[in-house]
Amino acid sequence: MHREIEAELAFHREMAARHGNPIPLGNTAVLAEHGYALWRFNFLENLWRDLAHAARGLRRSPWLVIAALVSLGLGVGVNATMFSLGSEFLFSRPSVRDAASLVYVRLAGNSHSSRQVLEFLASSGLFADVAGENEEITANYNDGVETHPVSGVFTTKNYFTALGIPMLYGRGIAPDDPDEVAVLSYGFWSRQFNGDRTVVGRAINLDGRMCTVVGILPEHHRSLVGFGYSPDIYLPRYLETTMLAIYARLKPGMSIPSARAGAITVAKRLDAQMPGEFKYADDVRVSAIAGYERLRTESDLMTVAVFFGMLLAVTGLVLLIACMNVASLLLARASVRRREIAIRLAIGASCGRLLQQLLADSLLLALLGAALGLALAQMTAVLLMRIHLPTPVPIRLHIEPDWRLALYAAALATFSTLACGLLPAWQSLRESLAPALHRESKMRLRRVLVAAQVAVSVIVLTTGLLFLRNLVHSSALSPGFDVRHTVFADVNLPPNVYSDAKRKAGYIDRTVDSLAALPGIDSAAAARVVPFNGGTRFGSTLVFPDNGGQAQAFFHWNAVTPQFFRAMDIPLLQGRTFSPADHSEHVVVVNTEFVQRYLGHRQPLGTVFLWGRNGKTPYRIIGVAAPTKTITIGEDPQPQLYEPLAQIDNDRQEIDFVMRSAIPPALQLEAVRRTLHRIEPMAGAQVATMSSSIGLAFLPSQVGALLMGSTGILGLLLASIGLYGVMAFSVARRTREIGVRVALGADRGHITRMVLKDSARVTLAGTAAGLLVTFLVTKPLAMFLVPGIKPTDPLNFVVVALAMLATGLAATWGPIRRALSIDPNSTLREE
Amino acid sequence: MGKPAQPALLQGTLDLLVLHALQRGAMHGYAIAQTIHLLSDEVLKVEEGSLYPALWRLELDGAISSKSGLSENNRKAKFYQITRHGQKLLAEQEATWVRLSAAVSRVLAG
Repeated sequence: MHREIEAELAFHREMAARHGNPIPLGNTAVLAEHGYALWRFNFLENLWRDLAHAARGLRRSPWLVIAALVSLGLGVGVNATMFSLGSEFLFSRPSVRDAASLVYVRLAGNSHSSRQVLEFLASSGLFADVAGENEEITANYNDGVETHPVSGVFTTKNYFTALGIPMLYGRGIAPDDPDEVAVLSYGFWSRQFNGDRTVVGRAINLDGRMCTVVGILPEHHRSLVGFGYSPDIYLPRYLETTMLAIYARLKPGMSIPSARAGAITVAKRLDAQMPGEFKYADDVRVSAIAGYERLRTESDLMTVAVFFGMLLAVTGLVLLIACMNVASLLLARASVRRREIAIRLAIGASCGRLLQQLLADSLLLALLGAALGLALAQMTAVLLMRIHLPTPVPIRLHIEPDWRLALYAAALATFSTLACGLLPAWQSLRESLAPALHRESKMRLRRVLVAAQVAVSVIVLTTGLLFLRNLVHSSALSPGFDVRHTVFADVNLPPNVYSDAKRKAGYIDRTVDSLAALPGIDSAAAARVVPFNGGTRFGSTLVFPDNGGQAQAFFHWNAVTPQFFRAMDIPLLQGRTFSPADHSEHVVVVNTEFVQRYLGHRQPLGTVFLWGRNGKTPYRIIGVAAPTKTITIGEDPQPQLYEPLAQIDNDRQEIDFVMRSAIPPALQLEAVRRTLHRIEPMAGAQVATMSSSIGLAFLPSQVGALLMGSTGILGLLLASIGLYGVMAFSVARRTREIGVRVALGADRGHITRMVLKDSARVTLAGTAAGLLVTFLVTKPLAMFLVPGIKPTDPLNFVVVALAMLATGLAATWGPIRRALSIDPNSTLREE
Repeated sequence: MGKPAQPALLQGTLDLLVLHALQRGAMHGYAIAQTIHLLSDEVLKVEEGSLYPALWRLELDGAISSKSGLSENNRKAKFYQITRHGQKLLAEQEATWVRLSAAVSRVLAG
């Protein structure tokens, strides 16, 4: 294109010369430009030429390129990582056929319903298909030597066919299969069977039943629950007591609101036919299982979404800091290109055209930076997927680049191009028009840029600091029970052997006695749940027969054996613990929070209240315990109520044991495991020290501190690079001035003070502005922090300001040394 | 400054002149300029600065097409040719021009 036009014009001139006509005094460059401008691909053609030109120019300053790419790569990398994490958490689609037409149905607001409810809904014909799952079961897998508890899902037999779940090998559970079949997750299959394909068709021992493996799920299977929740095994539901979450396939063309209206009609018929505990038609919810729809309808997800939104905002600020670094570097380069731009302007290039060309520099850097960042993010994702979180159910995130990430990266690259390039490009244009006028303003511009950078890093740093303090503070919080001397065992009894509460009670008594008899074990107890490993909350009305008073109570409920408080080292402040002689009446132990909130002025010991299924059973308080944390370490004290395990109708297959050990608990694990295996070889048991099994409680603060802390440090690093660059440049520019000053008798202290003052001005201005903004924008962070850590705590601001000033000082160190090493003789000779 | 002022080309007439010149057959840019110059009894002089952009524009509009060929002195050159669309355009512009110049003459005569 270019060559063609030039050849044509050259030919014209040659012909003119031949015929003795005067060679026209046209401006070939403008004419050629004019020719390109007519061309339809003008923009792309120009862009390509500009990029090639920019690449040639940048090749001559490799350090600038490296510094810019490191800045942008880190900036884009951290953004892309957080984005893919958030998008995987919030928007990933479960591995089913046509996820958009699948809904989650709740009647009476219940997350799980009985089989009868599910079948009623299925037979109503409202939906194309209705399937159910219970995603929280544990099965005992016996590998021939040992029994391991594995996390599993009970499904209806039409589950795989109705949802259309893709399989790696074999098939899903089919409607006409017997109960004794199983589908394995990829993780469990590769762990237990080393990825042996011949497992399909073989029978494995689950809960003492020989179940035929019919299929293996693909590696990147995403369960309906989402959040990377990856249970090990899928079994047809065979216990009548298991409740089911109901998933339904909408008929073609059916909308969610009309499905809900239909479900209400069905629920009303159900209420008429099966009157009982629930009014099914009262709270009917039909919600999408994926995408934005799901986010809108599930309020729990909103908190997660807000957290990721905030995370993206903070990482966005880090990218801004990175862009400012690059802008600063390009500003310094602008003066190098001044001559070139002046010439192009002189021969008639338009300002817009030149601006486009100057932006090509930053576009090229932004594209390379984004590519580098994406590569970095991909590497981080691979590392993240390898992390095994200490959760009861395996969590496996499948982070893979998708169109959302591509779109986001494109947006990031565009943003970086403009953020890095507009200012320097504009500045070099202005400077070329009137050089003398604008050289000073450019230095000022760079200072303003760095001050802004410092301000932004203050915000990022404060956020990071808040989450770090949050972690430190929460790690130092006491959970309310002893974790250093406690052993924790989680036993899952095979349901077909231990179906009734009496057999379970016998097993518990035997086991507690055997465990307590182990050498080095001081006391042993059983509990329905252990804090941080599950919990049951009750909301109900307590009636006090003494004066007929009522209290609307909401508390954590647990059922334990008598030695529980001793084994957990939970102080009993008043009264006593349970005893086997308590069976004549219902007794409870409550915590101080319960006393304060619900008992009024009553003396807690001996107080009787009516409660229970029918609300008429009298319960007598025999002890008051200190409060413990239950779900997260950061929570406020919650009311708790303990019942004797022997007093309740224990319908749970999972039994937790706790033991207090006189010797380090890690040394007891093997003995405990052997004892449990001896008493019931069919039961899978997980034995661990308490300190390792409450890891989940610290997870939110650890994740927050990890993400925010590393982001904050990255921001600080990038800002200090920027500060260093500007101060070094400023000293280099003032070499002559400093030389003269030294020649005139300025001493080292004087020069040091001069440079320091210069840098301090920028840092202080930036810090002050940053603190002001931080004060305003970090207040909402309180929702993510444990009580005791306040976003507006002056200490945060002092620490951040000091860190910023120290960084400023460190970044100025190099430039000061260079200023001090200036030799007045040589500088004056250069004059 | 002894030369009489060169009449500047009226806006839009260059396309007309180029298309008209190309009716005589395919020719390269320089030849088009020369043809217009000679046909106008050396009154009209087409500058390359306006001729080539006009040629490129006409080519993009599809009024003329180009192909490379050998010039009279055996050099490779780009030859332009009027297309059917160009013929139609030329007829329209000629009609417009005739009306316009007649109108201008009437105004000046009045």
